Amino acid sequence: MIDSGSVKQMAGHPFDRRDFLKVLGWSGAAVALSGCGNTSVEDGRETVVSYVEANDYMVPGVGVYFNSTCAQCDAGCSINGRVREGRVLKLEGNPDSAINKGRLCGLGQAGVQHHYNPDRVREPLLRNGNKGEAISWEKAYALIAEKLAGVSGEEIAFLSGGVSGHLKVLLGNYLDSLGTKNHFVYEAIAPSVVRAANLKAFGVEMPRYRFDKAQVVLSFGADFLGSWVSPVHFSQQYAQFRKGVNGQRGVLIQVESKMTLTGANADRWLAVKPGTEGVLALGIINALGMATGEVAELVKGYDKARVSRETGVSTGQIDKIAALLKLRSPSLVLAGNAAEGYAHGSQNAAAINLLNQVLGNVGKTIEAPVSVPFPQMVPSKGNTVALKNMNDGLAAGKYKVVFNFAANPVFTAPGAFKFKDNFAKAGFKVAFAHYLDETALQADLVLPLDSALEDWGTQVPEYMTEGAQINIQQPLMERLHANTRGMGDILLGLIKQKKADEYKGFEDYYAYLRGAVLQNKGALGGGGVEDDTFWNDTLTQGIVKLAGTTTSLAAHASAAGLVLPAAAEADEHFPLHLIPGVTASLRDGRHTNQPWLQESPDPLTTIVWDSWVEIHPKKAAELGIVEGDIVQVTSKTGSVKAQVYLFPGIHPEAISIPVGRGHDAMGRYAKGYGVNPFQIMDAVFEAATGELAMHETRVKISKTGQRVLVVKDEGSAGALQMGRKIAGRVSTDQVDLSKEV
Amino acid sequence: MSVSNLLENWAQVRHEHPNNDKPHDPYKWAMAIDLDACTGCNACSIACYAENNIPVVGKERFQHGQQMHWMRVERYWDEDGREFPDQGFQFLPMMCQQCEAAPCETVCPVAATNHTADGLNSQIYNRCIGSRYCSANCPFKVRYFNWYDYPTDEMVWPAEMQQQMNPDVSVRSKGVMEKCTFCVQRLSAAKVKAKGEGRIVAEGEVQTACQQACPTSAISFGNLVNPDSRVHKQWAAQQVELDKDKQAKNEEEEASELRGYRILEELRAYPSVMYLERVRESAV
Repeated sequence: MIDSGSVKQMAGHPFDRRDFLKVLGWSGAAVALSGCGNTSVEDGRETVVSYVEANDYMVPGVGVYFNSTCAQCDAGCSINGRVREGRVLKLEGNPDSAINKGRLCGLGQAGVQHHYNPDRVREPLLRNGNKGEAISWEKAYALIAEKLAGVSGEEIAFLSGGVSGHLKVLLGNYLDSLGTKNHFVYEAIAPSVVRAANLKAFGVEMPRYRFDKAQVVLSFGADFLGSWVSPVHFSQQYAQFRKGVNGQRGVLIQVESKMTLTGANADRWLAVKPGTEGVLALGIINALGMATGEVAELVKGYDKARVSRETGVSTGQIDKIAALLKLRSPSLVLAGNAAEGYAHGSQNAAAINLLNQVLGNVGKTIEAPVSVPFPQMVPSKGNTVALKNMNDGLAAGKYKVVFNFAANPVFTAPGAFKFKDNFAKAGFKVAFAHYLDETALQADLVLPLDSALEDWGTQVPEYMTEGAQINIQQPLMERLHANTRGMGDILLGLIKQKKADEYKGFEDYYAYLRGAVLQNKGALGGGGVEDDTFWNDTLTQGIVKLAGTTTSLAAHASAAGLVLPAAAEADEHFPLHLIPGVTASLRDGRHTNQPWLQESPDPLTTIVWDSWVEIHPKKAAELGIVEGDIVQVTSKTGSVKAQVYLFPGIHPEAISIPVGRGHDAMGRYAKGYGVNPFQIMDAVFEAATGELAMHETRVKISKTGQRVLVVKDEGSAGALQMGRKIAGRVSTDQVDLSKEV
Repeated sequence: MSVSNLLENWAQVRHEHPNNDKPHDPYKWAMAIDLDACTGCNACSIACYAENNIPVVGKERFQHGQQMHWMRVERYWDEDGREFPDQGFQFLPMMCQQCEAAPCETVCPVAATNHTADGLNSQIYNRCIGSRYCSANCPFKVRYFNWYDYPTDEMVWPAEMQQQMNPDVSVRSKGVMEKCTFCVQRLSAAKVKAKGEGRIVAEGEVQTACQQACPTSAISFGNLVNPDSRVHKQWAAQQVELDKDKQAKNEEEEASELRGYRILEELRAYPSVMYLERVRESAV
């Protein structure tokens, strides 16, 4: 492709990045970058550079590619943005990244719709009654200074999503300057319990998983192909795992109560009774007969008959799994959302890690991770404990000034927290926002952010692969709206209110970033290289690859303290488990306003633009429910109404509603589509970590008498091929993969 | 093209493929999709929206069956009588199969859809009169009709969103049929570049948007007549021949251990897309 050719040409000719921005069309770029002065795309129209004089990398009609980092989730995939005539058109994967190797998921590609979204906030807004009034940045800064005056550190709270890189450093410095320790790092969906269990068993929170080396993957609800940790990277490893070595194809067994995308790709999908994942893991250890000492003692009671009775998995199946795991080694056993989402989630995860250890996988398919040698830049990982702590503080009316960044707690907090009411008790609420989401709507001051394709930054992924890396985020085009700012620039502006002297050397966040990178040039592999050359090379590549430091891996999963609770008693008032479905494209709902994602059918149900209640056909028949019935789903906390979809990939004792939809804000593409199951989530916590146990909510359902046509991509034949060979399938004993190209 | 001109030159417009009246030289674009690698994640479909200016029609129009996804992922589960889909679902990326003897081509009253020398089933938007005969005759149901004037629809493409549109791909107005083109704009660019350098497009030089995005590399695309191309090697290894409606390997007494097949081959449309069957472990 011509376009790809031009990238190669460019790689050999580093050029000045700011110069590039200037010729993007409007000369205001440099001013805009400096983070002061109001520029709009109309300003300076008279000095638009004519194409006759354009730099040699600006050819009308030819796309150029610039490297940056995807900000749609935290996996840290590197992107290659196609830019033509100053506009970014498409995001592709950067082939040089060890994480995504040129690939990009649908969520990542929809990043352009975050940037071009018509519902972005464009001006700083100050609450005036029920309305937001546009104010100047100067006034906004002054207002923050005024509100912070005389407020002690204890009375300030900063809620954010996961942050890493230089932004984390700067944010930390700002919070120090305010004298507050109240930084609550919150992610609604994060593998927090698994991290804690891993730390206990392996000495690290997130080891490096080697799907490509495993012959069998046994996953307890880890949706690694869809939404878990680093899905694009795992998908690539999965492809290698399926090809296998010498035609010996890897086998995937997925155990969960509600089928995920990964489960839909399993060789064997097992519907376990909700919450009994740990019991099955111990049952498999028992059936393996490989354990000794106290582990053998622990699993003694978990004979097949009992395990089968408690989990609903047949004894024959347990035997088959044990036999396969014995025969094919190494294997890899994973604990995911479904295993950790219960009050005894830590115990489930510990049992699963113990199975890994008994199988001898530690060190083979579970490897020591690498991290960057700059601890201040490693990601602060969000969890739900942070939300609870902040919510408690808010409820007690502790905070006079509250900041919110990269999180939407009013939408994602469980209904039982009554977060919205508590948030209202805070004195002055500042939201840094791209859109007027539910949380921004409750704020007193909303500061509009640059899109991820307009802003500068560095990002350090939690999960790294070959070697460590620091990802560079850089503008792929000029600001779309003159009055938005980068988060780094805003923080720098705020920190200057407190420590003007220390930061006066940095005109803007770009200068700060450049300074910080060049200061560590040696450690970043640029020893002896000219500053400008190193900086330009770094931006050209979009990734700084480092040797990284390896944390050693332990194998001390043990039977000590591992106690699984007896099977949960059925609750006669709320007989069903509510499983919040996490989908690959909507995740926690922060990108629901990207229309490609709304119209991209859910892979399993093929439903678009709406929420649904997944229910097993057997259960539905029992309750007299058919597809499209609107049912009311009621928990102790609240209730929602949604359409029913009959889905065989769910345990009959559970129902599932996907999270991410049900916004009552966030613009035309999100507002009013679907329901939000977070609203009916009970406040039940994981015993060991205090994390929110997202799978513990029990519900009942009742018919409302209404029925709708489910809007879905699936045709009238449903999931049937009607005897034709459309999607063909063959079993391993009928195929010889070793002959394949 | 006037009607008389059309009638006179019908044989040119509608030459018989895959017979040898016009050998594919030097290009025959084709695909191979490994269903065992496909996870059903939809990255391909979204890449297609981004590359080809496909309108997002919204909930109501989707309900009316007016969605425009050139690349869709079908999913099946048809093991009758089972309580659970315990061997997972079956996913199938489906787009225009670029048939060599395409049923859609013969029924177009104005020859708006025809065959190119490099083996694509092309759609000429400004010749299309919207009879929708082609869509009715397509066995794969991969043709999409513009029931509305999407480019001027404020909900579909507000001014901001229009800036994302790919200038290499025309937008389609109301009353026009459209479908997957194998990213013909990318193919043309590559061909022009190669021609300028006096060579043919090399393997790996051009990728379709779906292929490029696919996290598991399930899709391979290339020039079938180039023996060095991966797609040629895959078709050859799977013993799937473009111009056959029954593959020799399926006629043999011993069941073939190969998993390459084309969908609805018996209809003699000679699709340019080969699928590799999904594999399931027999030991669990």
